[in-house]
Amino acid sequence: MQVAPIPPLAAPEPPQVKSRVSRAVDEFFYDNRIVRDFGIATVFWGIAGMLVGILAAFQLAVPEANMNTAVTTFGRIRPLHTNAVIFAFVGNGIFMGVYYSLQRLCKAAMYSKVLSRIHFWGWQLIILSALISLPLGYTTSKEYAELEWPIDIAITLVWVVFGWNMFGTIARRRERHLYVGIWFYIATFLTVAVLHIVNSMAVPVSFMKSYSLYAGVQDALVQWWYGHNAVAFFLTTPYLGLMYYFLPKAAGRPVYSYRLSIIHFWSLIFIYIWAGPHHLLYTALPDWAQSLGVAFSVMLIAPSWGGMINGLLTLRGAWDRVREEPVLKFLVVAITAYGMATFEGPMLSLKNVNAIAHFTDWIVAHVHVGALGWNGYLTFAMLYWLWPRLYRTGLYSRKLANAHFWLGTIGILFYALPMYWAGFTQGLMWKQFNGEGMLQYANFLETVLQLVPMYYLRGIGGVLYLSGVFLMMFNLIKTAKAGTLLAAEKAHAPALVPAELVEEHLGGHWHRWLERRPLQLAVGATVAILIGGAVEMIPTFLVKSNVPTIAAVKPYTSLELQGRDLYIKEGCSNCHTQMVRPFRSETERYGEYSKAGEFVYDRPFLWGSKRTGPDLHRLGSKYPHSWHYNHMLDPTSMSPGSIMPPYPWLFENDIDYSTLPEKIRVLQQLGTPYPAGYDQQAVADARRQADGIVRELRKEEIEVKSDKEIVALIAYLQRLGTDIKVK
Amino acid sequence: MLAWFRKAPPAAGLLALLLSAGPVLAQTPAAPAKPAGPDAQMLLFWFLLSTLALVLMVYVLVFVLIVVKLKPLLRRLYEMPTVQETWSGKVIGLLIGDARLVTGEYKDELLGHEYDGISEFDNDLPPWWKYGFYATIVFAFAYMGYYHLGGNGQLQTAEYETEMQQAALLVSADADDPNKLTTYAALTGPADLSAGKSIYATNCAPCHGASAEGKVGPNLTDDYWLHGGEINHVYKTIKFGVTSKGMVAWKGKLAGKQILQVASYIESLRGSNPAGAKEPQGEKEAGSKPLAAK
Repeated sequence: MQVAPIPPLAAPEPPQVKSRVSRAVDEFFYDNRIVRDFGIATVFWGIAGMLVGILAAFQLAVPEANMNTAVTTFGRIRPLHTNAVIFAFVGNGIFMGVYYSLQRLCKAAMYSKVLSRIHFWGWQLIILSALISLPLGYTTSKEYAELEWPIDIAITLVWVVFGWNMFGTIARRRERHLYVGIWFYIATFLTVAVLHIVNSMAVPVSFMKSYSLYAGVQDALVQWWYGHNAVAFFLTTPYLGLMYYFLPKAAGRPVYSYRLSIIHFWSLIFIYIWAGPHHLLYTALPDWAQSLGVAFSVMLIAPSWGGMINGLLTLRGAWDRVREEPVLKFLVVAITAYGMATFEGPMLSLKNVNAIAHFTDWIVAHVHVGALGWNGYLTFAMLYWLWPRLYRTGLYSRKLANAHFWLGTIGILFYALPMYWAGFTQGLMWKQFNGEGMLQYANFLETVLQLVPMYYLRGIGGVLYLSGVFLMMFNLIKTAKAGTLLAAEKAHAPALVPAELVEEHLGGHWHRWLERRPLQLAVGATVAILIGGAVEMIPTFLVKSNVPTIAAVKPYTSLELQGRDLYIKEGCSNCHTQMVRPFRSETERYGEYSKAGEFVYDRPFLWGSKRTGPDLHRLGSKYPHSWHYNHMLDPTSMSPGSIMPPYPWLFENDIDYSTLPEKIRVLQQLGTPYPAGYDQQAVADARRQADGIVRELRKEEIEVKSDKEIVALIAYLQRLGTDIKVK
Repeated sequence: MLAWFRKAPPAAGLLALLLSAGPVLAQTPAAPAKPAGPDAQMLLFWFLLSTLALVLMVYVLVFVLIVVKLKPLLRRLYEMPTVQETWSGKVIGLLIGDARLVTGEYKDELLGHEYDGISEFDNDLPPWWKYGFYATIVFAFAYMGYYHLGGNGQLQTAEYETEMQQAALLVSADADDPNKLTTYAALTGPADLSAGKSIYATNCAPCHGASAEGKVGPNLTDDYWLHGGEINHVYKTIKFGVTSKGMVAWKGKLAGKQILQVASYIESLRGSNPAGAKEPQGEKEAGSKPLAAK
């Protein structure tokens, strides 16, 4: 094994006294232990999250991989995967990088070691609670915000601890100006707080069940404002901040352009927030909001690429080292993947491209280029760079790191290319009409079975990528064993000169003024990120014409409501949309396209974002009860070759009526017009409807008890989309 | 493609108008006295389009030739300091291939600050990036204006209606009335029956059983029928469905001929007594009689 030379201790530079005021040199200690801990957590949860991802990937190719139990079924596994890789893997990666770089950029130790520990363990406990609650079916169904309200509150508290610690450190800094990386950290902290709180607003029904404060179209708008900007402010801005620290450090080159970083920072955070509606093109969202989503997505290309070119051009003069240095290799692929994904995103936002790509695996490919390439590779680069420095030794093996690089890169290709192929194929198959003016592939299943080979290849891509991560884990453990952790790193810096004594001498670029004032910078960033959301949300909430009411649309009966909550619990919306788009190919296949007014009692909305199975919005009364009964018991009996898993537990579990009266009361409080006192009749009403369904099933020689969950689910499925009668 | 063809005539007319203004093409028959048939119009359209393409190609070629021939001269002009800073000077710079106009110049002047050893240059914004940004901003405003101010752009409902109108033109109007019976005779040719069999296997077997013995849906091999067993009744049931009982309407999923093929196949199974047959449902009917005899 070749051993890299020990990197030099990040020696404190000789104090550069720029003013006439002489300053005492302080001695203090950087907390490296917390960086190491977050690093271990990111590797651990990264492996866990990716393992779950591989399971989910193969479940689509081999339905038996659902293992016939509730907790391992795709509908519950998929949110576990997304939450694990976003909030556990990338989340811990953010904190690792921020805790390391913030201390050094501020020339100060973290504000409070206690807060650091609370932050660390609080975050791990939240992940643990997600790991338990999601497979058990406790979910709000809102993507990347599935966790139920008690966990949401815990997230808020831990996030505040993080912010407190960060701003405390900034307040105690010995460096007058804030570096560009810190601007991104500040924007991240503020925006994630706003997004999380607004999107998670819900009224609790019981300990682990709540109903969204918003309904239908409004809920969809808020959710995708959140969902899109979770990508922006959890997966992008913090990582850009980290790039601005670790890339020049690793390359030993100055940042390409200070001016570019100012312009792309402000334009990025301002424009990003508007782009959420591009997740809802051709839906029941008002046209003007959709168009804003398109326009701002296109304007987002340059601000995103500003980060990419500032990264890649910083490498000028260091490209020869990219060949040698694994850290730089990972960084180059990360930045390139970021550039590709942020160009593809705006292209997917164009309505004509979106009409083909949306709801297909194309989107899955798109997010994985970002997640595996940008977030994954930047995290790996940070780990390979940090570990030798934290443990005061060389990296155990460069060869293994290079092997990791190539395994991962091939893994990304094996993942993304089949998914692009699958998405494009399916998007076109859905739309294909034959010469007689009929759908060429009228049976949805045909378009699914076409993709199964691609699902295998994608799974193999995931295995390759994860095997690289295992190599990294081994490499990092070996490195750690060879050295000793420098838990507290001694540093020196001159004390901060009081602002009033130096500012007049600093001058320079106008933006320097803001960089000296964290508060003003934070206020400016907050204003920038609030405008877009406010312009899109306030009219959608207040102007009635945006959601035209339909008199025929009535609230769900109590049994249908129970069925709907089962639909949410089982995660059906992970594979089925409830949004027939206004295309001939969809109205031919499913029926009349979905109208905004049909969703006014939907808390939460269940439009979905991916059609692994067909749309269900017009499913109601299309098939007899017995069809659904047989289909849920064994989907292949009604749909030969179907990749949908069976749901046998729905036939054993009793409907939980205990919280039904409270559910009705909460919905009444939110404005659903149930008659006064309905909460007390709701259970009896549900039992009556269930008896009716059981009687009809009996006619077809199916015996089922009326208190089984399947009965409630059938009631809900038969209601779907039947409020408006077309023709 | 077809949709595009139909848009072609007005475009062709416009092209003809534009081109007929030019002296070279003055003799082109721009506006035929009588409305030409679609074929003639199409021919004219392609003719005009290819002529236009040819003319443009010649222009481009001449332009490239001029630039190549004049390059040394242009370069000398460009190198004059008074020229370089002007807009027209920049156009000349682009023509002679000065990459700095696209990528920007790397001045690489360090700013006087550093953070934990990281220093910063203050290089220019790369022009391709800067003007690209401007272009997307222009696009965004134009996009909003086109769809929401001028009233020109079709929003999704209008787009859908157009799509449906176009489809109605393409597909011959299906005048079938669900209340009226057709007057088909059952097909008996082996090719039709085997086509019907494969349609049955993919679409009907899940509910009616692989041998039509009945599962969720009724047995189709016995003499008992819920909605009529005669070929035209079966045809109607398949086509329009019985949604209240869960029979899917296959209209739009199967062509008229396919429905007839599968209905004929079902008729051919009468009395086949498959294993595990479901008990009779509906009314007893004698063997199927041709409708014409009624």
